[in-house]
Amino acid sequence: MTLQERTTTLAARTESATKIYGSGDTEVHALRAVSVGFVKGQFTAIMGPSGSGKSTLMQCMAGLDRLTSGETYIGDVALSTLNDKKLTLLRREKLGFIFQAFNLIPTLTARENITLPLDLAGSEGDQDWIDEVIKTTGLADRVNHRPNELSGGQQQRVAVARALATKPEIIFGDEPTGNLDTRTGAEILDFMRRAVSELGQTIVMVTHDPVTASYSDRVLFLTDGNIVDEMMEPTPDSVFDKLKHLGD
Amino acid sequence: MLKLTLRNIAASKGRLLLTVLSIVLGVGFVSGSFVLADSLRTVFDKLSQDIAAGSDASVRAIEPEFSTGDNQLRFDESVLAAVSSVDAVGEFEGGIGGFEQVYTTDAAGEVVRPQGPPVLVFSWAGESQLSPFTLVDGVAPVGQQMAIDSAQAEQGGFQVGDSVEVVNPTGRLEAFEISGLIEFPTPGAYFIVFDLPTAQRLLNAQGQLDSIVLAATEGVSTDELVSNVSAVLPAGIEVVPSEVTVAETQADFGSFISIFGNILLGFALVTLFVSIFIIYNTFAILVSQRTKQLGLLRAIGASAAQVRWMVLGESVVIGLFASLVGLFAGLGVASLLKWLFSLGGGAFPDGPLELRARTIVVVFIVGTLVTVLSALVPAIRASSISPLEALRDGDRKTRSVRFRIIAGSVVLIPGLVLLALGFTGAGGTTTSVLTFLGLGSVLTFVGVSMLSALFAGVAASAIGRPVQSLKGTMGRLARDNASRNPQRTAATATSLMIGLALITGVSVLASSIKSTFQDLVADAVAADLFIFDESQGLPFSSVLVDELQTLPEVGEAAGFIEMRASVNGSIDGVTSFDTAVGSAIINIDLAEGTSDVGEDGVALLVDDAADLGLSVGDEVAVEFEDGAQTTLTLKGLYESNSFIEGQWIMDRALTRQHINVDNVDFVGVAYADGVENEAARSAVEQVTGGFPQLTVLDNTEFQESVEGQVNSILYVIYGLLGLCLVIAFFGIVNTMALSVIERTHEIGLLRAVGMTRRQLRTSIRWEAVIVTVFGSLLGIGMGVLLSFAGIKAIPGDFITSTTIPWVSLVIYIVLGAVLGIIAAYFPARRASRLNVLDAIASA
Repeated sequence: MTLQERTTTLAARTESATKIYGSGDTEVHALRAVSVGFVKGQFTAIMGPSGSGKSTLMQCMAGLDRLTSGETYIGDVALSTLNDKKLTLLRREKLGFIFQAFNLIPTLTARENITLPLDLAGSEGDQDWIDEVIKTTGLADRVNHRPNELSGGQQQRVAVARALATKPEIIFGDEPTGNLDTRTGAEILDFMRRAVSELGQTIVMVTHDPVTASYSDRVLFLTDGNIVDEMMEPTPDSVFDKLKHLGD
Repeated sequence: MLKLTLRNIAASKGRLLLTVLSIVLGVGFVSGSFVLADSLRTVFDKLSQDIAAGSDASVRAIEPEFSTGDNQLRFDESVLAAVSSVDAVGEFEGGIGGFEQVYTTDAAGEVVRPQGPPVLVFSWAGESQLSPFTLVDGVAPVGQQMAIDSAQAEQGGFQVGDSVEVVNPTGRLEAFEISGLIEFPTPGAYFIVFDLPTAQRLLNAQGQLDSIVLAATEGVSTDELVSNVSAVLPAGIEVVPSEVTVAETQADFGSFISIFGNILLGFALVTLFVSIFIIYNTFAILVSQRTKQLGLLRAIGASAAQVRWMVLGESVVIGLFASLVGLFAGLGVASLLKWLFSLGGGAFPDGPLELRARTIVVVFIVGTLVTVLSALVPAIRASSISPLEALRDGDRKTRSVRFRIIAGSVVLIPGLVLLALGFTGAGGTTTSVLTFLGLGSVLTFVGVSMLSALFAGVAASAIGRPVQSLKGTMGRLARDNASRNPQRTAATATSLMIGLALITGVSVLASSIKSTFQDLVADAVAADLFIFDESQGLPFSSVLVDELQTLPEVGEAAGFIEMRASVNGSIDGVTSFDTAVGSAIINIDLAEGTSDVGEDGVALLVDDAADLGLSVGDEVAVEFEDGAQTTLTLKGLYESNSFIEGQWIMDRALTRQHINVDNVDFVGVAYADGVENEAARSAVEQVTGGFPQLTVLDNTEFQESVEGQVNSILYVIYGLLGLCLVIAFFGIVNTMALSVIERTHEIGLLRAVGMTRRQLRTSIRWEAVIVTVFGSLLGIGMGVLLSFAGIKAIPGDFITSTTIPWVSLVIYIVLGAVLGIIAAYFPARRASRLNVLDAIASA
């Protein structure tokens, strides 16, 4: 595989991504020259202890934060070259987000929340696709409800549906099931899994839970701002084992 | 708890800044009103004393009950001889005074009209301890000379030796040389001084005096002087000690200053009232944002009372602080008001600003009380927060609709009742009417504010509908956010409502006055031209009428003067004019008889004829202000006419014999048949050219001139009410800023999923617009209703035509929207600059 071919099949990648908070004595290296690629159609989990830089990596890749040095790409677009407006448009058009909680705008209905990025872009979007997403997420009879009329699991499903609605190049999840009970969390993860396997989506999520990570194709392990290991086809046990020996 | 209170203030000082500012403005206005009124009172008290300085008593004519206010009471100068014969009298000086204006002629030979108020004219016999004036330059005036005060000379660019002009009794300009400059102990008042004979001639009072000021000889008491002089005075003339005249002058000025001060204070209280809503809203929001903290306090053992006192404590500290700042801001407000009035031509005499102890006490009490009262409801609500609330998410439940309806009605209904009482004039006195109206408005506004929370959500949603179709998702979010917290929207909108309600009310009144006047001119006027002193409103010589009547281009000319006379023992208003030609100038609707009453007759307002039991042909006994008595026959009954202010019509040929100065208020001219309008007008203006103070206006110009006068009053009122809008504006900024803080997480989320900064700003801007337009609509509605009630309640037919100034109302709505856009600027900017990650992290 040539370099050219490799980059075209990558949904996102970083080159020597470095992020330093503070300066002098209080300097904290959140990311130390991380270079990593995310292949299209793959479900990746990023794991690591608190302060390992896993959230920073995701946030910088998602255009929510800027690197101190190095570069991150979405497709072929280098994020450091974009101003705030272009970055916002990129998030709107090419990225999807699932946060841990409070993902939804309380004044909008479920459907309006799902189509929010499209509405902000003033675009109709692919209505058939949106209907399909809604159907697949099992929200068909709840779309006209407001978030406070939905359960936590339903709210999170709306968030996933919103992330899918624009057919983004990549979806970022920040502990997307962290706030849910195990059964509801499993439902959401199943759904994310299917979005990758059946719909060909690319998902990168940050998690600290081995069971959650086991839904992915590939797990990246971070400590102290470095990728220290990775694992394909993870299971809860294998991830748990790896985590136990991460510090060794 | 005190420590926590202070910490809370410190922590939220940014959020409290605008609230403090709104209290400062209101309190500053209150303080400024007191300071200005006190300072003026001191200046005028001193002025009154300075006028009488050096004299012990003065001789003057006894004021008949029905003297015509415009005409100075005078007596014959032969009294001087009688006074001089009294041994107790040391120095004495007879004097005369009045009003004049100094005119100049520019290079092109055109008369330059002076700006500012009329100038006091005095006679001056020379330097004496009885004269308040000192000559500072040149010599005393003799004959065709005058002395003027140095301030006026400086302002007008006059120097000793210059030639200036004043209007003489024939209405013509007469040239005088400035012989010297004088100074008066109180700076700022303008004077012109002539020698006594010239002053008498100019004021059309040959051989007459206003007063004789007296100084007692060595060792004679004032009482003795007064009683001795009193013995030699003819009937109708009295001598009074200087303390009495000083006190009278001070009371005259004082009552004017009190009215003026109270009007300012009224506006100040309105402003303060508006800030109540801002304070309330701020505290309500702060308490709701602090719910968790307060719940935690309760959980670890703070009592409900402690929590309540903590919030109230904050309001006390803020109230005290804002009062302190406002107190000194008042000095600035007073200077600003002085400056504004000087721009309008109504300059006040100079004097230091006075901060009396009373002002300090009142300001602190009012400022602190207003703040604490406004925080009372939020404080009570804070104390009802349960410990569990610290753990619970989401909005607190708002109070039930039923509670709101009941509470709102309990406030609104008495408010409306009081307003109705006020409008119908219950209680009889001005104070009681004003109290009813004031208290009624306050309760009505508060009641409407409470009730408006019931429909604020629906209303904001309705107003937001077009915004949504216009602005899509941003409009949708704006609409939802504007209607999601109806209480907050209502309180914010109400602060704007009050200002706009008052402004709208005044606009409707003004436009109704204007349209009433238009109807009146159309109905009542037959004249082609009106001639009057537009800038000063002073009466002028009737010589003009005589001269106009001789012009071939003039068909009819009639002079009108308002005066008073005693008719059958009752002192009534009389409108006197040339009754033979009056009907060519104004349309007089007659119920019976004629308006051409001649020198031996009168006409009476038909409504009063019934009350007085008089009918045409009856005789009435009349006494004029000069004491002359006569019997006149009632020759006609006329319908109400706004040009005829008095209830009686008399002929000018009769009344001119019985008033001190034969002046008229205005002259109406009807052109002769077959004369070109332009030719006729230029002939008339040829004659009036000799009377530089007069303005000649045709029907249309006359209407415009009256509109101009109404407008200039209107602008002052708008200016004063504008402060309410400024405070409401702070309130909107404040609410928007606090709402943005509250929604930080949501904003972060929107930005993350692709809302651009510009879109975010748009959304917040439109949210503010929806709230302010809601407030404008409420205000306009209230204003129209209140003004209609007011117009209905104004007695008689002062306003006969009610007009809604639609254009102005639309402008007010646009103004509200613009205020919203400006108010949203900083909150929107702040929101758009939030760091997306930090925003999302804040829950």
